[in-house]
Parts: sequence; structure tokens; C-alpha cells
Amino acid sequence: MTNGWIDIKNTDMMLIMGGNPAENHPCGFKWAIEAKIQRNAKTIVVDPRLTRTAATADLYLQIRAGADIAFLGGVINYALDNNRIARDYLVNYTNAGFIIKEGFKLPDDGLYSGFDPETKMYDKSSWNYEEGGDLSGKAVLPTPSGQNARATHVQGSDTGQGHQGASPAGAKAGASPVPLLPSKVAFDLSLQHPRCVFQLLKKQYERYTPEMVERITGIPQDQFLKAADLYTSIRKDGDMKKVSTIIYAVGWTQHSFGTQIIRTAAMLQMLMGNVGRAGGGVNALRGHSNIQGATDMAGVFDTLPGYLKMPNPNDVDLATYLKRITPISSKPDPWNSFNYWSNTPKFTVSLLKALYGPAATKDNDWAFHYLPKIDRNYSWVNIWNDMYEGKIKGLFAFGMNGVMIGPDSTKNIEALKKADWLVVCEIYPDETSEFWRAPGISADDQKKINTTVYRLPGAGFAEKDGSFTNSARWLQWKQIALPPPGEARLDQDILAMIYLKVRELYQKEGGKFADPVLNATFAYTNPYAPSLAEVAKEVSGKALADITDPKTNQTIKSGQQVPGFAWLKDDGTTACGNWIYSGSWTEAGAMIQRRGTEDPSGLGIYPNWAWSWPANRRVLYNRASCDLNGKPWDSSRRQVWWDEGKQLWVGNDIPDFKPDSAPKDHMGPFIMNPEGIGRLFVPLGGMADGPFPEHYEPIESPIANPLHPNQSNNPVVKKYKTEFDKYGTADQGFNVICTTYRLTEHYHYWTKNNPMNVQLVPEPFVEVPAELADRMGVHGGERVKVTSARSHYIAKAMVTRRIRPMKIDGKEMFQIGLPIHWGFRGIAEDEGKTAKTLANQLTPTVIDPNAFTPEFKGFLVKIEKA
Amino acid sequence: MSDRKTLQIQRMSAHPGPIPGTGVQRDVQVCKLVDTTTCIGCKACEVACVEWNDMPFGATTFDNTYQTMPETRWNFWNLIKFNEHPREDGTVQWLMRKDQCMHCADPGCLAACPADGAIVQYTNGIVDFNQENCIGCEYCVSGCPFNIPKLNPGTKKVYKCTLCSDRVGEGLEPACIKACPTGCLKFGTKDDMKFIAEERAKQLRDNFGMEKAGVYDPESIGGTHVIYVLHDATDPERYGGLPKNPTIPWSYTVWKWLFKPVLGAFALFGGLGVLLHYVTVGPRRPQPEPPNKEGTNGNGD
Amino acid sequence: MATAIERFDERARRRFESLGRTVVYVGELRRHPVYTRFLHWMVALFFFLALFSGFGIYLPWLFRWFTPIFGGGPLARALHPWFGIFCVFFFGLQMLNWLKPMMWTPADTNWMRNLRGIVSGKEKLEPPDTGFFNAGQKLQFWEIVIGCVVFLITGIILWAGARTFGSTLVAISYVLHDVSAIVMLGGIFVHIYLSTIGEPGTFQAMTRGAVSEPWAWTFHPAWYREVTGRDPRESYEKAREETERAVTQNPSESKLRSK
Repeated sequence: MTNGWIDIKNTDMMLIMGGNPAENHPCGFKWAIEAKIQRNAKTIVVDPRLTRTAATADLYLQIRAGADIAFLGGVINYALDNNRIARDYLVNYTNAGFIIKEGFKLPDDGLYSGFDPETKMYDKSSWNYEEGGDLSGKAVLPTPSGQNARATHVQGSDTGQGHQGASPAGAKAGASPVPLLPSKVAFDLSLQHPRCVFQLLKKQYERYTPEMVERITGIPQDQFLKAADLYTSIRKDGDMKKVSTIIYAVGWTQHSFGTQIIRTAAMLQMLMGNVGRAGGGVNALRGHSNIQGATDMAGVFDTLPGYLKMPNPNDVDLATYLKRITPISSKPDPWNSFNYWSNTPKFTVSLLKALYGPAATKDNDWAFHYLPKIDRNYSWVNIWNDMYEGKIKGLFAFGMNGVMIGPDSTKNIEALKKADWLVVCEIYPDETSEFWRAPGISADDQKKINTTVYRLPGAGFAEKDGSFTNSARWLQWKQIALPPPGEARLDQDILAMIYLKVRELYQKEGGKFADPVLNATFAYTNPYAPSLAEVAKEVSGKALADITDPKTNQTIKSGQQVPGFAWLKDDGTTACGNWIYSGSWTEAGAMIQRRGTEDPSGLGIYPNWAWSWPANRRVLYNRASCDLNGKPWDSSRRQVWWDEGKQLWVGNDIPDFKPDSAPKDHMGPFIMNPEGIGRLFVPLGGMADGPFPEHYEPIESPIANPLHPNQSNNPVVKKYKTEFDKYGTADQGFNVICTTYRLTEHYHYWTKNNPMNVQLVPEPFVEVPAELADRMGVHGGERVKVTSARSHYIAKAMVTRRIRPMKIDGKEMFQIGLPIHWGFRGIAEDEGKTAKTLANQLTPTVIDPNAFTPEFKGFLVKIEKA
Repeated sequence: MSDRKTLQIQRMSAHPGPIPGTGVQRDVQVCKLVDTTTCIGCKACEVACVEWNDMPFGATTFDNTYQTMPETRWNFWNLIKFNEHPREDGTVQWLMRKDQCMHCADPGCLAACPADGAIVQYTNGIVDFNQENCIGCEYCVSGCPFNIPKLNPGTKKVYKCTLCSDRVGEGLEPACIKACPTGCLKFGTKDDMKFIAEERAKQLRDNFGMEKAGVYDPESIGGTHVIYVLHDATDPERYGGLPKNPTIPWSYTVWKWLFKPVLGAFALFGGLGVLLHYVTVGPRRPQPEPPNKEGTNGNGD
Repeated sequence: MATAIERFDERARRRFESLGRTVVYVGELRRHPVYTRFLHWMVALFFFLALFSGFGIYLPWLFRWFTPIFGGGPLARALHPWFGIFCVFFFGLQMLNWLKPMMWTPADTNWMRNLRGIVSGKEKLEPPDTGFFNAGQKLQFWEIVIGCVVFLITGIILWAGARTFGSTLVAISYVLHDVSAIVMLGGIFVHIYLSTIGEPGTFQAMTRGAVSEPWAWTFHPAWYREVTGRDPRESYEKAREETERAVTQNPSESKLRSK
């Protein structure tokens, strides 16, 4: 979330899409309700089903699963056509006026410039800004502030991109000359230049007419126009007072173009000047209580804690690595850019000191060579694909149920059959630890499975302390409610025991590259039961020598906790496990345990409640909540502002900005981008599949893309090639669109073991439109069989009028939906009340090229009476 | 009990004589407000109710709906009713209404109950069942216009939502209110809740295009201590059979409180009548055997 | 059908006659066999149990002191329908037993015409064509038949409750059950009065099963005639006139009345 849960109460307009917060985030949804009640805020819900969120909406549109970019692109087109945009914001806080290089081509045929059909990858050198100065000839800009023009490196997230699929081609990344962003970007602040981002954007989305939106999404034009008008109405006549927010969840991410959907939303919000403002932003609702924390702490293969990029084999030493990953600012010459990522070396060295302690010295590059280097894509789907192909021999499964998660659970089960060993730490017997009991595996088959399964009794969430990081980036400490029962152990105790045993074996027997294991910092009071408070302090960071801030003369003594990431050094005098969490546990105590309920501004900032990264800022990019002169766009929602007297940015929130950068310096509010501004156009390596989002059909789609039938799908998405990776088409009879989702009554695959939840929703079901059910002759409660190219799923039909037939590209089509919660172990399952099929046996193995998220939403099936 | 004032008994089923303690307490009326326009059907209230009241879990069956079960049970007092209401334009309005005891000002259950002290109404408006006094006749079930009281066939006692009188008596809000994540449930004095509800209904009418939005607080039973904000107050039936004009069957009103004693007295007059007959007319004795009969006189007695 | 019932009744009477006896002394007539008396007292027993256990439910503020007799409210409530069921069951048998003598006849219409005289005590004798049962008894009998049917139906509805039959039906049954009880309660006063102090000599008909001949010819002349073959009516009228003359002459004497 750019903003936060409570901040939703400050909004005037909500677009909820690709998410179902009322059902999946009911506690957070209170703030949406609060906005309705306190501000008369309107809600637009766009979803394949009339969900419980939609039930509270002012306007609900039924969209075809996977058509989100078309809808949002249409809204962008509408906003541009009707001048519902924030002109000042757009010109000064985004790259709308930046000129794009000659040779860049929009995807009229479905492809941007630079596509290589062989490798299915883009050469992105044309996706760049043109170097130069003011091309409008009428610059009304602050005086240049004496920046030195320097050649810059790409702030690209090259890691991982293009590494997906069966071809481990990523090792080559960086071998070819890396294109660079120009340090002086050519610009036209009148936005008239034909190659300026704004004009390209207009051209890109003028194809997304209401007619086209109707053809792709199935939303009738009049309804679409109603929604587009309502959503953009807050920017009527350029008035900047009102704010709208976009709220989404995995309904957007789980597509083969998921990241681009979210980018489309971000672009719309920047066009309308909604980012950085209270009640605005682009707000991702995380599906687990701590999934934000997992991502922050590098629960993803291609990052280190704090979103530092993972080294790759070409990073032969720390300097090379830092050179690659540290961006240098790139902007119109008269402007200023904070480019906060320029501090990357400080964060990296502090991390290495936290990881390896005294073993990390200046002489050994701070033990940089201890870090693993990623040579290919190790994302979720690839782990299972590699295991199926015999490249991965064993798996630790902690706090997740890999078989259930899928996609294509059958393939995951087959993969586990081929593994040598599997360690599962769980509180219930789950499908992963009992994959060999999956329906369809006979007793004879079971004898042929040689995987050794170790099941470890873990602890439930109420049996552990530690912190959760919520969607609003708050770190909140929780206490132990009761000790784990019986022989169950805390997860950290189990991990510590494994680590200490492995270290002991290395100490005794030696082995290949033992140093990282032997030298890892493990200085906990009780190494066999590390206290999570100690871990949290380690993550927040401490001084390893006395360090002094030259400006304030404040000194942090050696061994003391650092107050924040501004104190981190690249000379080995600080250690910090995650720079963005720096300051969460200081000498003043555990910020994450704070429970202050003061909210002086009334904006729901609650600065003394827990702690929000970064630096306890509650709304990211909050400089953008003010106009060029540093005055809030809306005087009733004052987050931060420029104090002329103090010559500082001050406010109710912590300014997400260089505190002493005066407005006249024209420093961009998006300090994490090397340009300092928000990117409508993502240059170079930022995105794998295009600098602007383009609508592509899901891999399994009932129609050819109406925009460019010859390039229907995302061109850089690759299909997998094992015998399990089958992809269905409408011609094969898979003519019903299917989407998966969660219910408010259940929590993933756990609560099927809890009688209370089972009482609320006892059995799996399939939501079927009444018209389709009539056609099939199926009544509510009768069993239906849903078949995809991969497998089938059997459950009772919930016949409903909440999903209606739709016209897609002129053809009548149906969508069905199925909740994912049931498997082959659980109360109903063990009582024989279900068919024991798994929803994710249906889903295809295909992933988004940027975030590697599987396409769980929007695939093809057929449905019949079972 | 720390706050006896809120749990002062106001009425008592089938109880002769004055109610103990009347006249020495204040009379703040409590009220639960359910805003159906902001209910998200999350069922947190259902779970909170079951857990606070320590109910055993019961089996349910999939019934083509998100609704947990068709109606409340003796051990499930709080049920969100899900209804797909077809609009004229062919779209669907998905309605969720938390169904529970309405704590009527004029409670049909209490009127119907023949057991001394089985049903009480506190001065704060809560209608509560005292199972130790319940005789299991289920008259309350038929007296209730909302189909709320339910018999536990095992104990032959009737149960229903207590409005968490045990919590309210300690100055806490009911469990469902505490669990509600969206604030669609509120708890306070009747006056306050009525005010908030009317304001909300006005807001819905003025700003959200719901011309028929209104508050459900049916006068026909003297108002309720659970009130609803409805999108369309002219058609409460669509919310899972919320009666537009709930009434107590006349058998528990006019019949029970007027005709019963009167007609009962008539029956007693039967006793008085024969006594009077004996006194005034006297018994009819068997007449002596007439002279043409041989033998002795029969003896009548 | 009728014959089947008669055969059944006949069998029952025979069996019960072997279980108990009906002693008829000289000057007496056999009125009710053991079977009939057994049924009567069973009906009476369960009627009163049902009545008293029902009182507490009927008007609890007045009659709640009845419930402890039955072990408290819940037990009274639990037993009440069973009392009722047994009462109805035995009365059902009684109905079959009495189906024939309870049939309405022209004599009954005649009796009804004389009702005023009988109640006011002016008519010392029943009309001469009054048979085994008079019209009043028959009316009460059929009232009880109807009452039992109403009790049974409404009782079952109340017993199963609104869960099974719905609130409306229960509410209606609630009233009808009451009405039935009130009517029967009123009737029972008359019944008890007339069978005891109201018409002395009656009570033994249901205890020993025999009645005196004067009782018989006074109250059921046609039955008396049928059983004895004699009709004392004329002689009686004459005797009465004499008596009345004597009473007129000497008001203090009332020989015939006292004996």
C-alpha cells in the first residue's frame, strides 16, 4: 500500500478491483465504510462476481476475469478525453513531459519495439528517454541548481526478468552492454511534443474506446461510461481538492500480465494526481497477516532484505555489484532528484555486517562473496517445475501448503514424488505432507514413491511472538497467547536447531564453501531458542563503532541501536538486517510495540501506534500531497507542508522527502526513482513486457485479443513444457471462464480443520450463473464437474444470479468461480463429504513475467453435471 | 452484578404482584443498531456469539447459499440472512441482514409465556430468557413475530439471543458488536441509536440515491431494541422475511389477558351456579315407589 | 362397523365383569357395568390431572400454585399432554361403549322442551319417555366428544409447536384448547353436582354400578319401564297429589319429600 488501511477513510472515491476486501480483509474494510459514512465517499466495484464487497458498492460492474487493463485503459482514455486530469501534478510530478527516444514503437500490433521472437524477449534500448534539454522552448522552471551531468546506470530490475520458464537464459544478463538512462532528459512541459510521454500515452489509450472496452471486458458501454465518469468526477474542472483511491489484491496480481494491471492503476492515479495524498494511492491488500513482512524480508528469490537486488554471477565483486544496482539520477536538467537508492552501498554493507559480523571486513569485500548468486529464475512455479524435472531434490515447507497452492497441484504432487526428501513444518496434517495420499494414487503407486517425508510439529500464530507487517507497512508486535501444545516447537527454534546442527557438521567434517555457514552471525542469548525480540533488534540495526552525525553532533555509541537508516554507513561501522526496518527498534525501545492512540491531525496517522516503514511514514510520496509551492492540495487534509520559516518540510506525517529541499529547488516527490518523478512510462528494464501496459488475453482465453488478434497473449510469457503443462482453448470445448477465490469464512487451507469455520461454510462449491445452470439442468446443491485441460474438480453447484451471462466480443459467455479452500485432508474431507479434488488442480502453470505470479484468475474450463 | 440498574426487571412473565425493585432504578433503554447497508456478511458476529455463549458447534449442510443455516438455532442465536433480491433492471441486490432477537418493547414471547419468571424484560429493554424457569411449552415460539426462540430438544428449554445481558450488565457491549469489523453494528441508548440510524438513512437518501432508505423500528410492537437501517424500508420482507408490521398473535394479547380470565370466571360461575341451584331449588330426589309397587320402598340415598 | 364396535364393547364388558363385580341388591337395578365404571374413572382421573396441570399454564398468575403438585412447571408441562392423551383415549373407549345409548331420540327433544321445569325443580320427575340417558347427559356427552377431538388436535399442535405447525396454527389452537377447557370445566360442575348432591342416589351408579328402583323410575322412567316392564307413572301422580294435599294441610310435614 502506498497509503494505509486507516487512510482509506480519507478518500472521496474508491475503485475496488481485483480484490474483495469485504470478504478477504473485513477488518480493513471498515475504513472504506468509514469513508462512505464520514465523507459520502462513493465505491465502484469491478469484479467477475457480485461479491460481498460489491454488495456494499454504489456501482458494480461485472467484468470478464483478465480484462482489467482494458477497463483501466478505457478509464485513462476517458480521463484524458474529458480533461479529468491533474495538470500541474502531471507536468511536475510525473514523466509526462519527458521525451522518449526516436525508434520507440507503441504496440498497435501487440508488440513494442525491440521484440525478439526467438528468445521472446525485448531489446529495450528504445524504451528510453531522449537526452537533451527543454524542447518546448518555454520553460517556466526554477533555476538549475548546479547539478553535474553524469552518465547514469539503469535503475533496472534486470534480475529475474526474462529468466522464467524452462530456459535458464538469465545467466547472460549483464553480459551485453547495459543501456543507460540519460542524466539530462529532454522534456516538453507543454506536453505537446509528439514523442513526449503524455502524447504517447494518449495515443496508446485512445484505442481503448468504450466500444473496445465493451468487446474485451463484457461491460456494456453505458455502464462503463457511468463508472468512468463517476471515478474521474473527483477531478472535474481540474479541481484538486478531492482524492480517489484504488484498492486491489491478488485478483490483479495473479495474471500473466498482473504487474501491468497494477501499473495501469498507478498511471491512472498519477494522471489524476492521487498518489502521495491522504485518501489516495494505489493500495495492495496483502492476503496474509504478514505477507508484506515476508516480501520486505526477502521472501522472494530475487531480492535481499529491503528490496536490495540479489547478486548474479556477473557480480564478481562488491564494487561491480554495487555499480550495477546503485542508480544515478536522470532528470530534466533544471530539476532536482533525491535518488534515494544512491544510498544502496550503505544499506548493502550494513546488511553484510549484520549477516556475517566480524567475518565481514573491508578486505574481504564485507564477505560479499558469501552471498548466493542467482543464475536463473527460482520463483515459486519454477521451483516445482525444477523439482519435477529432477533438478531440485528436497524441499523445506514451512507455513505453506505447496500442493494446495498450485498452480496445477497435480504437477506439484508429481514433483514431490520425484523428490528425495520433504520436510513439512505444520500444525495440521496437510496435503503437502500427505501428497502421497492424494486421490488417484493407489496403494501400489504409493509403494513406488520414495520421497522421505519429515513432519515437524510447528506452532500456531497465537503461540509465537514477533511482529507482523501489515499491508499498511506497519510492524506490529504481538504477544504469545499460549504455549505450543505437546511436542510442538516454535518455528525459530526448529530452524535454529537445524542451523546449529548443520554448522556443527561443517565444523566437524568441513565441506564445500563452509564459510557462510560457519561465519553467519548467530549471537542470540539462547541460540537454540532465538528470541524474536533479539532478531528484531538485529534487523533494525546497531552501531558497531561510535558514529557521529556531523550536522547535529549527535553520537551513537558502539553497540547502541541506530535511530534509522540515515545513520547507516558503508564503512562497516553499522550493521542492519533490513534498511527499511531500520529505526523499528531503537535505544528508545521497540517502536513496533508502541500502542499510542493519539491522532492529532484526525487523518488516522496515529504516529505513535506501532511503526511503519520507512522511517514511520504512513503515506508514501507524501510530498506529492502538496502543490509546487509546498502547500497541501486540500487544506482540510494536511499531511506535510513546507515551513518557510523553518525552511523545512514539516507536518502530521513524516515527510517522505529531503526535509530541507525547498520547493523552488523542484526536487521530485518520488524520491526512490532516479528521475524523482512518477513514471507513466517505465524506461528500459523496469518492466519485462512494455513501458506502458497493454491489454493481453490470459493464456487461456475464449477470444482472440480484439486489439491485435495476431498477438493475443503477453508476448514475453512462456509456457512450460512438461507433459503436465497443457493449455486449453475454446475450440477444445473449454468455453467457460473460471476464476478462483477465497471466502471470508475460511483461511486458505487451514481452517478446514476448525469446526467453527466448517460450520460456517461446510463444503466446497462452485458458483454457477443461473442461466448456465438452467442450460445444464443443474439445481443448487447438485454436484457439478469442472474440467480444465489439466484436471477436474467436483463440488456442489451454488446457482446464483450474482454472476450473469456476458457478451465478450459479441459472443455470449459464462464465468464461474470456485473457492480454493478444500483439499483431501480436513474435517469435511475426512468425513467423506467432499470429492477431495483441489481447486488448483485446474489452474495453469503460467506466470507473470515481472513478478512471476501464477495466473490463477481467468482460465478456461468446461462444466457439466457430475 | 456491578450494574444492577441496567438489568432491573421491568416485566416478568406470568408473575403475580409487583416486580421486585421497581421504581428505584433509572430507565435507560439500550439498543443495537444494524446498518444493513454497511454489513458485509462476514459472519464475525455469528462466531462471536457462538464463542461468547460457549455454544457447541453444530453440523451444517451446503444449501445453495452463503447463509450458514436456514434459520437461527437454539445454539446459534445470531445468523446473517443472505438474500439475492432481483431488481427491475435484471441486476441483483445482495442483501445481508443480521437476524437475531429484536428485543421488542412489547415482546410477544413474554406475552405468550405461561411460566413464572421464564421471560423477563429488563428496564433497559433487554428481553431475556431464564431457562431454569422455562417449562418448554414453546408458546414463546409462536408468540414471536420474528421466529427467534428455539427449543433445545435435549433439555426442553427455549433459548435465544440475550443481547449479551451478562456483558451489558457489566457495562460491556454485546459480543456481536465487539466483533463487527465494519462498524455496521452499534450499541448504545435507544435514543442515540435511533438518532444515528435516522441520520444514516437520511444520508443514504440524500447522497447515495436510496430514496426509500429508512429505519426499521416497528411501532406495531412498540418498537424494538434492535433496529435496522434498510436500503428500502418500504419492503423489509426482502431481507429474509423481516415482517413489515410484526404483531403478537391476538391469542396472546386480547385472548390471554381479557377473555381467559373472564371466561375462566364463567366456568367458575358454573360451580357457583350449581351451588345456588342447591340452595334455592334444592336437590331432586328419587321419588318414592308408587303404591302399585309391591314390596318395600326403595331407598334413594 | 357398528357391529364391530358392539362386539368389541361386548368383549370388553365381559372381560371387565370377570375382573370386578356389580352387586345389585333387592330394590336396585344394575346401571353401569365394571367396564363402564372403569372407563369413567380413568377418564375422570386423567381429566382432572390434565385440568390441574393445565391450570398453571392457563392462568399462571392465578393458578401457579398448582404446578408444584406436578413437580414444578417443566414437569407439569411435560406431563400435561400425556394426561390429556390418556383422558382422550379412555373417553374414546367410553364413546364407543356408549355410542348406542347416546343417540338422539325424539324423547330427547321432548326432554329439552321440559328443561326449564326440570331445572327449576317444578318437575319432580323426568318426562316418562326419558331413557337410559336423558338429553342433558347426551348433550354433555357429545360436548365432551367434540371437546376431546378439539383437545386432541389442538393439543398435538401445541405439543409439536410452531416449529412444526407454524405460529398461526399454534395461536389458533391455543385459543381453541382454552375454549374447550372452559366449556368442559363448566360442564364438569354440573356433572358433579347432578351426580352427587344435586340428584342424590346417582353417585353409586358409578361406584357400585347399581341404582335404586325409585331413582331409576324417577330419573329414567323409560329405562325403568324397559328393564322392569312396569310403569309406575300413573300411581305416582296420584300419590303425589295426595301428598301435596297433605302438605297443604300441614305444611310442616313433608313425608314424601323427606323419604
